[in-house]
Amino acid sequence: MDIFFTVLVFGLLLGGIYGLVSIGLNLIFGVVRIVNFAQGELVMFGMYGGFFAWHWWGINPYLSVFLVAPLVGLLGVAIQRLVIQPLQHEPNMQIFATFGLLMLFQNLMLMVSRGEAYSVGGQVGSTVLTVGDLKLSLVRVVTLVAATLITIGLHLFLARTMTGKAIRAVTQDKRAARAMGINVEKTFLITFGIGAALAGMAGVLLTPIYSITPGVGGNFILAAFAVVVLGGLGSVWGAYLGGLVVGIVEAFAGFYIDPVLRSAVWFVIFLIVLVVKPSGLLGQVGAEEVGFREQH
Amino acid sequence: MSSIDGGKDLPRPAAAPARPGAPRHEVIATAQRAWLTYLGGMALAFLPFVAFINDAHWLNILALTYLMGGLAASWNIIGGFGGQFSLGHGVFFAIGAYSTAIFVTRWGVSPWLTMIPIAIFAACVAMLISWPTFRLRGPFFAIATLAFNEVAFVLANHAESLTGGPRGLSIPFKAGLANMIFRDRWAYALLMFAFVALVIALCVWLRRSRLGYYLLAVREDEDAARAAGINVLGVKLKGMALSAGLTAIGGTLFTMYLRYIDPPTLFTLPEVGVKFALLSLIGGIGTIWGPLLGAALIVPFENWLRSAYADSLPGLSLAILGLLMVLAALFMKRGVMGVIDDLLKRRRGKGAS
Repeated sequence: MDIFFTVLVFGLLLGGIYGLVSIGLNLIFGVVRIVNFAQGELVMFGMYGGFFAWHWWGINPYLSVFLVAPLVGLLGVAIQRLVIQPLQHEPNMQIFATFGLLMLFQNLMLMVSRGEAYSVGGQVGSTVLTVGDLKLSLVRVVTLVAATLITIGLHLFLARTMTGKAIRAVTQDKRAARAMGINVEKTFLITFGIGAALAGMAGVLLTPIYSITPGVGGNFILAAFAVVVLGGLGSVWGAYLGGLVVGIVEAFAGFYIDPVLRSAVWFVIFLIVLVVKPSGLLGQVGAEEVGFREQH
Repeated sequence: MSSIDGGKDLPRPAAAPARPGAPRHEVIATAQRAWLTYLGGMALAFLPFVAFINDAHWLNILALTYLMGGLAASWNIIGGFGGQFSLGHGVFFAIGAYSTAIFVTRWGVSPWLTMIPIAIFAACVAMLISWPTFRLRGPFFAIATLAFNEVAFVLANHAESLTGGPRGLSIPFKAGLANMIFRDRWAYALLMFAFVALVIALCVWLRRSRLGYYLLAVREDEDAARAAGINVLGVKLKGMALSAGLTAIGGTLFTMYLRYIDPPTLFTLPEVGVKFALLSLIGGIGTIWGPLLGAALIVPFENWLRSAYADSLPGLSLAILGLLMVLAALFMKRGVMGVIDDLLKRRRGKGAS
């Protein structure tokens, strides 16, 4: 039973990481309806930003996040404006374009770093909290807390502010939103920017946990898609919950089945959800209809 | 299913007669002209082989170009004609590769004997995993196929007794036609040429067949196709089966050429699953010659980038490919074939006025 509890806690903490990297994609895929395969690379840029801020100026990642996240957000705005917007109505070309960005970003960083793995050293990464019998990595706890706070913040932003309401309106019905005087294109631009900034933020916050390589985004991208579909497209709490579910499933599968197969298990769950209930756990029924239709 | 099975007994849709005065590009090519074009195109593709017959370096590049051209053309059947953007063709490629290697290393069965049964097996697997995923449209389908690719990658790493896991499988060098292992590079290049010639011949046939027209109809408008009485799911499954079977044959040839396979070689997206789509995009998605043209442009270029910059700038070749992919998606959606088509149209337009 103790083991069970330990695995559960480990899964929750892992889920915090997945939730954190998925929040941004949830906006981009769930609201703007862009299959952004380069989302993992935005996380990677955040990581490199956090690393270099620490390496060059000695700024703690938990501080530099306030500088790096907006920068990645700006990159996201540029991507949306230059690459995504011209392809707004061509989903297949979006797949090519964003996958091309993935290859471009990943290999640009490979050229810059020459394949060397970086990591943020020091005290932060190795501090361990002891609660009863449990030993918890401090940074993972911080990550889970950060994921929770960001989710709450995003929820409040979408629920209370005018911009947030515009984003929700566009999610529900693009045409009606336009008729109400909402600038749909501008809303997409803002949403994509926020989604990218959240990915950058996730990246910086994860620097103490992961060693930073050009391919690190690959660890997150399919997980993030799985989380977003599992939780329900465009649902803020869905992405959070989906992240925790994926984390816990991975922890248990890794412990009780086989560590090698841990990701395969939630891939299969993801595929089943995709086929059986594409609106996800907390998604509005029909929210997925843009990409999905029943077949006879 | 019945609605699309009747095709064989019915007369082929008659080719439109060439109306006098009609612009030439609107005339549907007659069967004869289609096959003449095929022979001309394949002869052109064969020329470099003749030119480089004594050059081992170029024969290697040619063999890879023909192979990738054939694989891209196989992807193009479901991805281009059918409009279903699979990113998971690495699964079928790997089925061909692993099955061949297992039969050769364990029981010494000739790859020539197992090639077709393995292709049929891959086609069956493709239909089995596509049946549920074809309910999904557009990006959801692409993500699902991507997930299949990842699951297969994890399983290939895990099933060590079968696939050798991360260590991979290597095939001992026993030269001989029966073993599909040759001392000379030209034999491999010829083998790969035969593969791409076969795939493109199938595409020429398909493009003029009932199934081919149905695939195009499904791509253009699924609902309209269904309303017109087309069994959409059945058409997609048939297209996928054909595409996956040919991809598995490509996997067999790949294995016998390299004689070593491991999970990263077979499942890395920019090298396999996405590469097939990328080559088709550059050449022209949904065209008969586009995939081979894309391979002819990209494979030698990439090879040169790799050999020239692998040490000084690692990743340069894939970065450039990624950039090309973005630019093609933005400005050259119909690929090089589309550009050629536009140029020809413009010239004709000028000639008429």
